[in-house]
Parts: sequence; C-alpha cells; structure tokens
Amino acid sequence: MAEISESLLQLSVFVPIIFGGILLLFGTSANVFARKLAFVGFLFPALVSLWLWFAFSPDPETGYAFLTEVPTGLGIVGISLKLGLNGISLPLFVLAGVAGFAAGFYALVSPAERLRQYLALLLFMHGGLMGIFASVDVFFFYFFHEIALIPTFLMIGIWGGRERHYAAMKMTIYLSLGALLSLVGLIALYVQSGATSFDIISLKNALEGQSIGSVAQRHTFALLLFGFGILVSLWPFHTWAALGYGAAPTSAAMLHAGVLKKFGLYGLIQIGAPLLPEGAASWMYLLALLALGNVIVIGFVTVAQRDLKQMIGFSSVMHMGYCFLGLACLSAVGVGGAVILMFAHGLTVALLFLLGNCIYQRTGTFDMREMGGLARKAPVLAAFFVTAMLASIGLPGPGLANFWGELTVFIGLWQYREWMVVPAVFGVVISAVYGLRAAGNIFFGEETDEFRKASKGKTIHDILWFERTPALVLLALLILVGLWPRSLTDGINETVAPMYGGGDVAIEAADATPGSAEGAASYGFAERLPTCCAPPGTEVRTAIKMDNHSHE
Amino acid sequence: MSVEHLIVILLLVPFVSAGLIGAFLRRRGELAAAVSLAAAAVVLIGSLYLIFGNIREEFSYDWMTFGEYTVSMGFYFNDLAALLLFVVAVVGFLIHVFSLGYMKDDPGKARYFAGLSLFMFSMMGIVFANNLIMMFIFWELVGLSSFLLINHYYHKPSAAAAAKKAFIVNRLGDFGFLLGIIWSYWHFGTLNLFEMEALVGADPEILHVGIGLLLFCSALGKSGQIPLHVWLPDAMEGPTPVSALIHAATMVAAGIYLLCRIFFLIPPDAMAVIMWVGALTAVLGSLCAITQTDIKKILAYSTISQLGYMVAAFGLGALVLDGETGTAIQAGIGAAMFHLVTHGFFKALLFLGAGSVIHACHHEQSIYRMGGLRVTMPITFATFTIGVLALIGMPGLAGFFSKDAILYLAWANSKAVFVILALTALLTAFYMTRLWLTAFFGEAKSEAASDARENGWVMTGPLVILAIFSVLAGYEFMHPAIFHDIMMHVPHAEGGDFALVAGVSISVLVAGLVAAWLFYGAGARKDRLEQHRPAIHSFLARAFFFDDVYDWYVVKVQQRFSSLINFFDHIVISGLIVRGAAGIIGFVSLGIKSAQTGSLHGYVYWIFLGVVLMWLFVGFIL
Repeated sequence: MAEISESLLQLSVFVPIIFGGILLLFGTSANVFARKLAFVGFLFPALVSLWLWFAFSPDPETGYAFLTEVPTGLGIVGISLKLGLNGISLPLFVLAGVAGFAAGFYALVSPAERLRQYLALLLFMHGGLMGIFASVDVFFFYFFHEIALIPTFLMIGIWGGRERHYAAMKMTIYLSLGALLSLVGLIALYVQSGATSFDIISLKNALEGQSIGSVAQRHTFALLLFGFGILVSLWPFHTWAALGYGAAPTSAAMLHAGVLKKFGLYGLIQIGAPLLPEGAASWMYLLALLALGNVIVIGFVTVAQRDLKQMIGFSSVMHMGYCFLGLACLSAVGVGGAVILMFAHGLTVALLFLLGNCIYQRTGTFDMREMGGLARKAPVLAAFFVTAMLASIGLPGPGLANFWGELTVFIGLWQYREWMVVPAVFGVVISAVYGLRAAGNIFFGEETDEFRKASKGKTIHDILWFERTPALVLLALLILVGLWPRSLTDGINETVAPMYGGGDVAIEAADATPGSAEGAASYGFAERLPTCCAPPGTEVRTAIKMDNHSHE
Repeated sequence: MSVEHLIVILLLVPFVSAGLIGAFLRRRGELAAAVSLAAAAVVLIGSLYLIFGNIREEFSYDWMTFGEYTVSMGFYFNDLAALLLFVVAVVGFLIHVFSLGYMKDDPGKARYFAGLSLFMFSMMGIVFANNLIMMFIFWELVGLSSFLLINHYYHKPSAAAAAKKAFIVNRLGDFGFLLGIIWSYWHFGTLNLFEMEALVGADPEILHVGIGLLLFCSALGKSGQIPLHVWLPDAMEGPTPVSALIHAATMVAAGIYLLCRIFFLIPPDAMAVIMWVGALTAVLGSLCAITQTDIKKILAYSTISQLGYMVAAFGLGALVLDGETGTAIQAGIGAAMFHLVTHGFFKALLFLGAGSVIHACHHEQSIYRMGGLRVTMPITFATFTIGVLALIGMPGLAGFFSKDAILYLAWANSKAVFVILALTALLTAFYMTRLWLTAFFGEAKSEAASDARENGWVMTGPLVILAIFSVLAGYEFMHPAIFHDIMMHVPHAEGGDFALVAGVSISVLVAGLVAAWLFYGAGARKDRLEQHRPAIHSFLARAFFFDDVYDWYVVKVQQRFSSLINFFDHIVISGLIVRGAAGIIGFVSLGIKSAQTGSLHGYVYWIFLGVVLMWLFVGFIL
C-alpha cells in the first residue's frame, strides 16, 4: 500500500510534464484527444494529492512520509531526485494539485488560440508545482520552480492581455533576479553545511552536528530572504505582481498567484529559517516591518484600484504580508498560521481570478466603474463572487480557513511584537473596504450605461457549468478545511512544533550581532524565552492547562 | 441522544436549512420558506426543552492546535444564555411566520429565507459560545447574515450602500474586539469564559482596563453605540421583518449579551466609560428620532436609544464598589438583560406592526403619507398601541418594569445619568406619541393609505402573540426559577426610592405624551416642528452630523489617502527606483547588447542554456 502511494507521488509530478511533452511534440491541433489527454494530466495530480492527504502519516524519525529516491547520475555532488511530504509541504501539495486541476479545467474550454500549446505549458506548470512541494532535495525544489516559472513567462507573453510584453519582460527580469539570488543562497547554504547531499534531511543532520557561523548565516539568509522575498512580492519588491497578473491569462494567473508564488515562502519556512536559525533571527524585525508595508501600504493601494484584476492582484500582495508576519514570529504558532493562510489564500485567489474572468466575459471590461447591477442577470455568479471575496478578506464563514490563518498569525505576532498586531489587524478593516466595494460596484445597484451598451443584443448568461465546476472544487476544499482545520493543522503542527518550538536557538541568537544595526535581543527572541520576559499570564496558563487535564 | 448532541444538532438545524435552500431551492420560493420555517420550529421546540428542562451544560471540542495554542468549539449554556435563547427562538419563529405573509410575492423569497436561517444559526452560535474566538466567529457570521439581508433589494443603490456601510462599520468595531481577544489570550492564557472567570475570581488585580475597553468595542459596533451607530438607521433598507428580528430584537442586543457574558473581564474604570457611552447614545438616539418621517427610521433611532439604555444599565452596575464588587456588577446585568428581553418583545412588535402597515400601504414608509389606519387596520392598531405603551413605559406593561429597574440603578449610582435617562424617557414618550398620532389617526393622507386593509392572520397572529409578551414579560410570574441567576439581580426600588423613581418615570411619560399631543395633534399632515422651528428641526434631522463626518472621511480622507499611496507606489517604487535601476543597468550593459535579441523566445533559450551549463558544471567539472 505504502509503495503505491510513493509511486503515485512520483507519478503526480511526472504525468503532467510527460503529457505536456506529448502535446507539444506530437501534433498541433487542439483535438478531442489532446483535450482528453490534458484533462487526465490535470485531474491525476489532483486525485493523487487528495489521496496522499488522506493517507498521510509521517515517519516520526524524519518527519516525512512517502519518501522515495531516484538516482540521477549526479550522486557525486549529492543531487538525487528525492521526493516526500511533511506537514508543511502537504497542504501546499494539495493546493497545487487542486488549484492546478481547477485552472487546467478552465483552460480546457477557454477560447485561446493555439490551445494545444497553451495546455501543454499549463501542464508543465502543474507538474512543476507538484514537484516543488514534493521535493525533499533542494536542487530539485529549485529546478521544479524553474519548470513552473518559465511557462508563466511564455503564457503571459503569448496569451496575455493588455501590456503583455512589458509585463512579461518585467516579470521575467524581476523573478529571474529573485530566483538567482535564492539559488546563490541555497548553494552557499549547501557548501557551508558540509553535507554531502542536497536533501533537506541530510542538510539538517549535518547542521545539527556543527552549525554555520553566525556571520555566514546572516549573509546566506539575506540572500534567501530577498531572493525568495522578491518571488513572493515582499514590499517594496512587489511591483511585478499586479502588473503581471493583470496581463496574465486567467489560468496562468490562478496558478501563479495561487500556488507558484508560495514557493518563496515555502522555501523560507521549510529550508531557510530552520537551517539558518541565527541568520533568520537577525533579519526578522526588518522582514516584519516590510511585511507591515505589504499589509498597510498595499492595502491602501488596493483600495485605490479601479481595475478588477489589478485589485485582485494587489489584494494577493497584501495577504502575503500576513504570511510573512507569521514567519517573522519564528514560533510554531506564527509559522503554522502562515502555512494555513498560504493554503487558504491560494484557493481564494485562484477562485477570484477565475470569477474575475467570468465577470469580464459578461461585462467586456475589467473597469469596476463601468460595472453595476450584474447580480440581476447573473445571481449565482454574484453569490460565488461575494463568497470568494468575503473569504479573501478573512470573514469566518466562507473564509473560515483564511480566518484560522490570520487569527493564528495575529496570536503569534502578539508574542513577537505587541504593537505590530494593531496595524496588522487594522488591515482586516482595509480589506473589508475594498472587498465590499468591489462586490457592490460589480453586482449591486443599478446597471451602468456602459454595461447596457456593452451587453446590448447579447444574452448575459449566469455562471456556466465549465466556470462553475472549477469554482465549486476550489470553494469546497476551502470550506472543508475551514470547518475541519485539524485535517491539515495537526500535520502542520507536528512538523513546525519541533522545527520552531524550541528555545535553544534563541539563546545563541541573543549573543550574535545581527545583520542590521540593532541587537538580536531586541529582535523578539528574548520574549519567547519563558524565563526572561514571559507574558504575564504564563504561570497562570500552566495552571489552567493542568486543571484541564484533571478535568478530562 | 445526549444533551450535548441536542445542543449541537439544534445549532446545526438552521445551518442545514440555509445550505439546502442555497444549494437546491433557489428557484423554489415556497418550498424554501417551508424548510426555513420548519427549521425555526425545530429550534423553538428544542430551545424550549433546553430552557425549561433546566438543562445547563458546558462542553467543548478541540478545533485546531498549534503548539500551546488551541482553539476549541465550545458550548456554555447557563441561565444568561437561556434567557437570550428564549428571545431568539420565540421572536425568530414568529418572524418566520410573519415573513410568509410579508414576503409572499417577493421574487427573492428563497434567498431571503436562506438568509433568515443563516441568521438563526449564527445568533444561536453567539448564545452558546463558551470562548471568545467562537464568539467572534459567530459575531462575524451574524454580521454576514445582516449584510445579506440588508442587501436583499440589491438593485437599489441605497440598499447596497447600506449593507456595505453596516458591514464596514461593524468591522471597525470588530477590529477592537479582535485586538481585545488576542490581548486577553496572552494576558489570561486562555479564552475560555469559565476559566477566565476563575482566574479573575482568584486575583481581581489581573484585570486590565485596556482589555475591557477593547472588548467593549464589539458592542460599540454591533449594538449601535455612539460613534458607531450610523449603520443602524441605514440598515432599515432591508425587509421589515429583518429589521424586527436582527436590527431590533436580537442581533443588536447581542452586544449587551456579550458584555453580560464577560462582565468579569471589565474593570470599574472601563465600566464608567461604558456607562457614559450608553447614556449619551440613549439621549442622542431619542433626539434624532424626533425629526424622522420614515416610520422605520423612527423605530431605528428608538432602538439605538434603548440599546444605549441597556449599555448604560450595564455600566451603572459597577459604580458601587465598596466591598461588594460582585453583587454591584450583577445588578447591572440583571437590569440590562431584563430590559433586553422586554425590549426584544415590544420592539419586534413595533417593527412588525410597522411592517404590517407598510405592507398594507404598498411599501409607503413616510408617516405623513399614512393616517387613518386606526379604523382600517384595527388589529395592527391595537397591537401597535400596546407596543408604543410598553416602549414609553406605561405602568403595568413590560417596559415600565425594566425601565424603572434601570432608572433606579441610575438613581442609586449616578444622579447625572439618572437625569439623562429620565430625559430620554421623556423624549421617547414624545416621539412615539408623534408617530402613533400621525400614522394611525386623522384621515388617510395618500391613496396607498386609504386603500390599506388589515393583513391576514399570518401577519396579525405574530403581532397578537408579541403583544401578549409585551404586556406580561415584566411580571415576576413570567420569570420562573429557570432564569433565577439573572432575574434575582434585577434591582427593585423600595420605599422612598420606589416612590421617587416611579413618580419621575410616570411624570416624564405623561409630560412627553401630552406635549406631543398638544404640539403635533392627531393626524397631522405636516411636521409642525419643521414648520415652526426649522432651525432645530434641520439640526436634529442631520442626526448630529455623524453621517456627514463619515462621508467626509470616506470621500475626502480615505479616498485621497489611498490615491496618494497608490501614486507613491506607482511613481516612486515602480517608476523611479525599479525603472531607474533598470536604466542604470541598461546603460552598463550597452556593451553586451548584441546578445539581446529582444525576443522572449531568445531569452528562454538563454535560460535553458544556463540551466544546462550549470548542470554540466555542477555534475562534471566541480
């Protein structure tokens, strides 16, 4: 049984890539066969990811489940194709599978020219995404990112909308820069670790024996932080994001904003921070400040947007700020919240881009000032969009999963820096403003003259089956995890608690001089130590916990 | 079936109903109404069993864990919860019945009933919640259902704007609430109400005034306290039964319920703030009500004013602190909850009466276009009259008892608040008499009003039942031992104090009533205040400029600020820094420009080549 799961894990990465290759190499027309093949290519990883979620039980020693290794002939430099899942990668692996299916399904019926090539690139992207989160080997983790990223550029450049050439160019330069920085960081990490293999488990083991010196840690982590940060649109390196998403074809935007963008955060959480704890500690205050920039500055920028797609793009940049804030806590609570928020945000933003395009199909414009009253013609579409929007702004209910993420991040953040919680929570109000304004402008009130003119002589359909199916898939998963968060959080907790829970690291970090002017003691680590500045309720809490047990 | 299961199932019944309607019955209005009504009936029966079966429970399930931090889905059913559940279940059921008639021909009927079921679910969640996070989740959910129901006539720009406003203003209150919750978590180490009460009991010093005030923000938004009350009058854009259920009887009262539920977290200094906010809200709300012409808006401002009464009552409880902290606070709870219950009944009655009138007058809402309904709609008139008398505190009716309890508390604790609340009572009598005389007496002042006919029993039945509750809810025999925990704390004046409080209360009632009668007369066609004192009228009609300030803020400040930041983001970061950097690099790279073909394909090949080279480098040379 277990072996089947492991083979399935490998297949889920390679089936889409191989199918994409077949589409590209044999034939040119988007015939029925090609579509069927692509459909299977999109569906298979989704089903596998759900099955592996169900079957997930990590090995207590390594923390990973479904570990397999395929030799690549590069064993001499420690590169081998090692796949497996732990509590942090599992949620994102499921996200990649399901969002990939939704995006692929929507692409299958899209009227794009040269559909066959489009589907092939999307399949490459899907396979690459599965590979990123399934890789235990750092080299392949990076390699699969490139596999997923390059098709994005091509899709924007060829099938994109307005300003596509400029957007593709800017995104290529920006993201290549980010990717290169992080690659240098990863190689530096590998070289300094003294490990003989690129896989995370042996890197970790090597570093347990002898950790990297604190200066080297700070420099290496800086490379990772800013490299990955650019990829996740950390403020102020975010300007590629909304522009790129605005130009990208829908399925590419869904996959990039929903899944691929999480690569950088995932890299920091899974690799960077645990392997370079001192380096991470010294940069976290700056990271938290920049992340607040994401939340507040980009929050207000989002309020100012008039273009629906730009608005969704900016809102996704804003929400990345919460994930970074969770990471900045460097505690099991904060990081756990960041992971669950990454998962929930991925589903919501994919859903929003999908529905945004459905709206565009009906109004002929992305300009929200020219929309209005669409709910009358398309009530179900309105219901979907309002649900997705409310989920995105973290309203418990449709967005219960997003709420768990945000709340957990806030809880963690309070422990790190109390004052930061105030602007962070205020972001929730800002997002309500733009979210509700968008929903109101598009769907409620009276129809605008522009809309009447544009829709003259056309029948405006409500949401159609091929739009509804991917939307329902995304929404169902979001609600399931919202109602039953333990289905993911138990796994996450099992992984992040040993990774981020311990206090040993903090003591060492307190002595080190950090990357910037201030001392590490002021970087919040001291506050995590139960002995020195525990929150006032700590002793009491312990008492209550004991009481709890006796109660049970 | 154990009690725990019963409570969970009871909570889930309306949720399932909402889900069923949303997923399958969108076009089947009749069936949707039946499903929703059935759910409300189950809730009513189950709740009565829980309440009168004297079942009191606390239990919880783990929902999510990260490290030390656990969120649980918990239920805590005590006398306080039972009291609110009684109001929610009874009023909720009656309003479902009333809606059958009121929404008969509405094309969005299924959507409406799905919204009602969703609301019942969310409200019951608030009633049962045993920890602050669960409370917050359902707090947002009632906000969501309120948003959906205000937005029912979404094609009206005013309704869409009102729904948005309600949501955002409430979120502003919830901003404070959430901060308070997070702070509490780290301050107390738990968010479970039971455990927090034990902690505070063991060491009262642990209380923090900041936490108390932040938690009070929840009530500030949801219960329409100044300055976050502005959404409530606008919320009247929703269908009238919704206004009765959500924006009068239950949801807006949830803020008071929450305060009573967490009373032990609120230190005396915060109590003083709460008291003054409540008193101010009470008097400002009643002043605003005087000039409104829309029957629902009069009632909305009246609701704000009465909610202020309850909040003030809660705040008053703390001012006697000489060694008897516990009992003093509980007196506030008793008075506030008592008024919450009686108000829930008579305000729901008034709103449903208004709904009955509006329905009969073909959606005419201005009281100066009604008139003469006393004759054409006798049942509505009779029940509405009972509602008016209960609200203004006629001796013998429910409102008299609960209002006197609050006035007595004010008299005992703060004379200034007593004067304000007595003034509010006078104004209440004044504006309600104006409404009553103008809408029901004289001659019909519009065609719609002259066509008005009494509605069927589906609509008048709930009116009669609510009228009965509005009369009887104040008497002690209506409060059996099951509510003992709350009702024993309702303060009762005795001897001289009783004479004084009752005397003041009755004389302000008579004064307000007579003044309105003399000033407006029965069945007036025009607002005499507007004709004779235009300055006062226009000042009051602007409702103390709160809306103007908010509009100014939204349009002038928020909009401009976000445009400015957007400009900064576009020009400075994206333009100068990023493109400027690109420009410098471009300058440097003039020499290697020959490699740049400008075609994206070219670049992709370069990248591929780079990857392959790197692989070779890493694999063979290193």
